[in-house]
Amino acid sequence: MASFGSKVFLSLGRTNVSGVGFKKTGNRATYATALTVNSSSTNKDLPARGGKGSTGRRPKRGPGEPRTEKMALDQDWTSVYPAATPFRANAVPLPLRMGYPVKRGIPPEKKGNLELIKIPNFLHLTPAAIRKHCEALKPFCTEWPSALDTDAKCDELFPVKIQSTDYVSAGPSIRNPSARVVHMKVKLSSLNLDDHARKKMLKLVGDRYCKDSDILTIKTESCPLRQQNYDYAMYLLTVLYHESWKIEPWEAEKTRADMEEYSWEDSTSQKNILDTLLRINATGEGEEAEVREQLLGREEVLEYKDSVETLKNEEPSESNMLRYKEAVRKVLKV
Amino acid sequence: MLHYTRGQCRKKKKLQGFCFFYYLLNMAAPLVVRRELFSLVKILGGISQLGPRGLGACSNHRKCSQTRFELLQRPNTFFHTAAYLSSTPFTITVTDEPDTLFQKVVVLVKAHDRAVLDSYEFFATMAAKELGITMGKVFEPPKDIERLTLLKSVHIYKKHRVQYEMRTHYRSIELLHVTGCTAQVYLEYIQRNLPEGVAMEVTKTAMEKIPDHILEPMWKDHPIDDKSSK
Repeated sequence: MASFGSKVFLSLGRTNVSGVGFKKTGNRATYATALTVNSSSTNKDLPARGGKGSTGRRPKRGPGEPRTEKMALDQDWTSVYPAATPFRANAVPLPLRMGYPVKRGIPPEKKGNLELIKIPNFLHLTPAAIRKHCEALKPFCTEWPSALDTDAKCDELFPVKIQSTDYVSAGPSIRNPSARVVHMKVKLSSLNLDDHARKKMLKLVGDRYCKDSDILTIKTESCPLRQQNYDYAMYLLTVLYHESWKIEPWEAEKTRADMEEYSWEDSTSQKNILDTLLRINATGEGEEAEVREQLLGREEVLEYKDSVETLKNEEPSESNMLRYKEAVRKVLKV
Repeated sequence: MLHYTRGQCRKKKKLQGFCFFYYLLNMAAPLVVRRELFSLVKILGGISQLGPRGLGACSNHRKCSQTRFELLQRPNTFFHTAAYLSSTPFTITVTDEPDTLFQKVVVLVKAHDRAVLDSYEFFATMAAKELGITMGKVFEPPKDIERLTLLKSVHIYKKHRVQYEMRTHYRSIELLHVTGCTAQVYLEYIQRNLPEGVAMEVTKTAMEKIPDHILEPMWKDHPIDDKSSK
């Protein structure tokens, strides 16, 4: 079909040139050049071939020897494959074979091998090419400040960590909606908080705080752009900080049940132990208040206080229970 | 106290004039030019999500697109010669804007073929070494296999099924202590040479100082009447 089309085209060309007063002068020029080349070639070849009639084609040149034969051993490979291009069997001087072998055979050769063309090749990224690229890219890089060589120094000077993700993939769209998520991590010890402010901050923040690592994580994904999410995270941090320093009038109504830690002073445990000791030493020496204060000052009572506090605040373990047992025995002199 | 001055040590480098990457990787036919054009748009489109605070890539993108078309009109006959490269000047301006500091940059690449990821890992690690970036862990997370069981026939024959699976292999490269400029250069280089069929996720952990408005509580200077000042 194509050959017939080309024959028709050439005949058209010839008639156009021969015809007088043809309108398309531009076309005439292009047809003329095509015609002259074709006529000269056909004139030469007609006697040799003597076949195909008046519409003889130019003889097809053979493929010639592959480029690999002409490649020197010390050639510059980066100029053979300067950018990512599909595999060309006659430009790669390696005896490659790829594919599943037929029975009792070997994998097919590289000439005309579709498997080698399909797979992405890294021929344009040889070590020499990478070195060249990096040499050229070096002027655009900056050095890391030498004073911040350890993680500890980084955390001390730059405690706020902003984490964000970029996505690169092929598809109908280059956008990825997950790219707008921002995680902001701060260590509470690096913020200027006093005792009350820290406790209030922990109550405000809830699950976002990790006790073991003392890191507050704020994850923002409600805004459509990453910049907006970052600004919102900073705004949240600011608000949390300032609100935790505020003391509201209703905070005075904090009861024992709201306390984060167990404190032994004015607790039922203190009352119980003092009552027990008073009953044991019921000689009635002085006023009860004075006797209680004396008892509080005693070593065993203090030890008992420590053991009860560790039991309540930390997780109960064997050592804690043993300590409590010893303290009780000492206090009650058993 | 550590002597650390913001302006001197961390200065951003902005590329003005021609887009240098275009030269490096596009020394072949204009067909390749079009592909790199598209990939640049792809990458910068992703980065432009940063908004006005961006790394200066957005403004450069506009400049780059103008100059790219100028290049196409130039004759391609002596692309490979050194004369072509040296005749086109590119200037690096150093601004006083402080550079972002990334404590960690984790690059996770996903592909269906393990061999491609092996080669890519070699390329990425070598590039990082040449550019002088300290590398953390380079490891291979376990692959994911997603399997589907479908009916073999169009109609009935429920007992005969066919099973397909999609394997996703991963590779993770961790970079430590990278500046913003270096990260931008390295990531753009890596992403331009990402092979077809490979996806990438880059997680950056930037470090920042505590903002000035959080250093002291504002109630100190302006105590409110019904609240005790602290």
